[in-house]
Amino acid sequence: MRNEKTTTIYLGPQHPGITGNMMVKLEIQGDTVVKAETHIGYLHRGFEKLMERRNWLQSFTIVCRICVPEPDPNEENYARGVEEIEGREVPEKARWIRMLVLELARIQAYLLWYGGQSGSAGLYTIGQWSVGDRNYVLDLFEELTGGRVYHMYIWPGGVRRDLPKGFKSRVAKVMDYIEKRLDDYDRVMFDNAVFQKRTQGIGYIPPEKAIEWGVVGPPLRAAGIASDVRKDDPYEFYDQVDFVVPDMYNTSDVWARALVRRFEIRQSINIVRQILDKMPDKGPVWNKIPNPHKWRIPRGEAYVKTESARGEFGYYVVSDGSEHPRRIHVRGPAYVHGITLLEKILVGQNIADVSVIMNSLGTCPPEMER
Amino acid sequence: MADLTYENKVILEMREHFRDKIIETRVQRERRVVMRTSKDNIESVLLFLKEKMGFLHLSHIGCVDWMEENRFEIVYILWHPQEKINVLVKVDIDRLNPVAPNIDYIWPQANTYEREMREMFGIEFEGLVGPRELILEDWDDLPPMRRDFDTLHYVMENYSFRSGREDAQNVREVIANRTGEEIPEFAKKYSR
Repeated sequence: MRNEKTTTIYLGPQHPGITGNMMVKLEIQGDTVVKAETHIGYLHRGFEKLMERRNWLQSFTIVCRICVPEPDPNEENYARGVEEIEGREVPEKARWIRMLVLELARIQAYLLWYGGQSGSAGLYTIGQWSVGDRNYVLDLFEELTGGRVYHMYIWPGGVRRDLPKGFKSRVAKVMDYIEKRLDDYDRVMFDNAVFQKRTQGIGYIPPEKAIEWGVVGPPLRAAGIASDVRKDDPYEFYDQVDFVVPDMYNTSDVWARALVRRFEIRQSINIVRQILDKMPDKGPVWNKIPNPHKWRIPRGEAYVKTESARGEFGYYVVSDGSEHPRRIHVRGPAYVHGITLLEKILVGQNIADVSVIMNSLGTCPPEMER
Repeated sequence: MADLTYENKVILEMREHFRDKIIETRVQRERRVVMRTSKDNIESVLLFLKEKMGFLHLSHIGCVDWMEENRFEIVYILWHPQEKINVLVKVDIDRLNPVAPNIDYIWPQANTYEREMREMFGIEFEGLVGPRELILEDWDDLPPMRRDFDTLHYVMENYSFRSGREDAQNVREVIANRTGEEIPEFAKKYSR
């Protein structure tokens, strides 16, 4: 005889296993999830509305706050959206610096993910290491931009400042160090039987449905589909650097997503080295904008996207020809991953695996609510 | 020069199939095609793009409030995974009677976008299933993303200022007074 009775439990908003200020309402039967429902609304800050009251330059200062673990794709999207509508040129060196910042941001986001993914599987040591090592990247950001987490560095027309003296060599040093450390993470995380058992076959996304369900980024590549905005719709100078988009890890479970990220952080380190190599030493980094109070963007719209560590980050920017944005609509990867997709793939999973799956999808409430 | 063959092919094929139901078609730039259709045809246009043209991935649904022109503009942004092209399909909805067709049977993730638009713009989607509350709680005011919703007015009505800031100064004015500089007309509205 099987008991058909279900119990409702609330994972979050206050729960160590949840990835931020959100809640997943689970109906469970024994240990198995039979229904999941995502509830958001704990973190809404109304950025999209605020931007309608601000002018184009003032709006730039708040876009980075939309995503906490990786703010730079927001700045990049905003800047590129404005530039596309206005037709503003960006100096060559600024575009290389933007790429450098975006790749460093990706590396630190992956290091943070190492902590979250292994922590949710019960391995806490890796998180201590990787978040510690992430600080070296944040140090670089602090030196370059003045801010460790939010940088407000990539802005319309270029970047805010040129690289400090000797910055390139310090970046190279940190890259060498992190590359060495990745082998240590492999030993304690990927070679660990606990981690393998907890992730293999968990959180399966059917590859034939993945595109239709709106999956992007590492979860899509873990389904065997080589899709990356940097290759598919190249921005800045991504068509001039060599990197591989992985499609060989195609089991479409948490394990495959972990392997994709493990592969990509090494690719990013490689890209950073190429950027340092190819970046011109001299040249302007900013195409000056007019007086911000009088800065009008011609009427028009643009859909711009950037590959963040969690997938495609899209901005739909609309201008009505005035000093204020008409509408800026943000589409973060978690908007789909954390709501409709999560509700689908949690069904039938063990309750202990819920936070493992959430970490592998990169659900992030700040970008679901903006 | 960028190769726009496929972009033009999309427009040609859509025009051939839908004739005058598709208007304002243009290639915005490489990998971006824009077109506009009417509310009654949007479902068939999106289904055609998905099933026949291969635009399998729904990237985004955006909504813009053109209050002066008395319309909401809903923008469906689709992505072609093989040809690597985004198509933006725009639809106008009457602002006084905001009803739009529901498309979450075509792409399941459209459900979240539509729920948010229902809540933030007050647009009703015919046959949309899902809790009415997504982000807001017990909201009975005007839908907050509409242009005529005044954020500042709402804040003044519902919140009070923290005490201890009575001597807060208007920095711009203080500096202007000290240096004898005159605040330009356009900058005055930014002064507190």
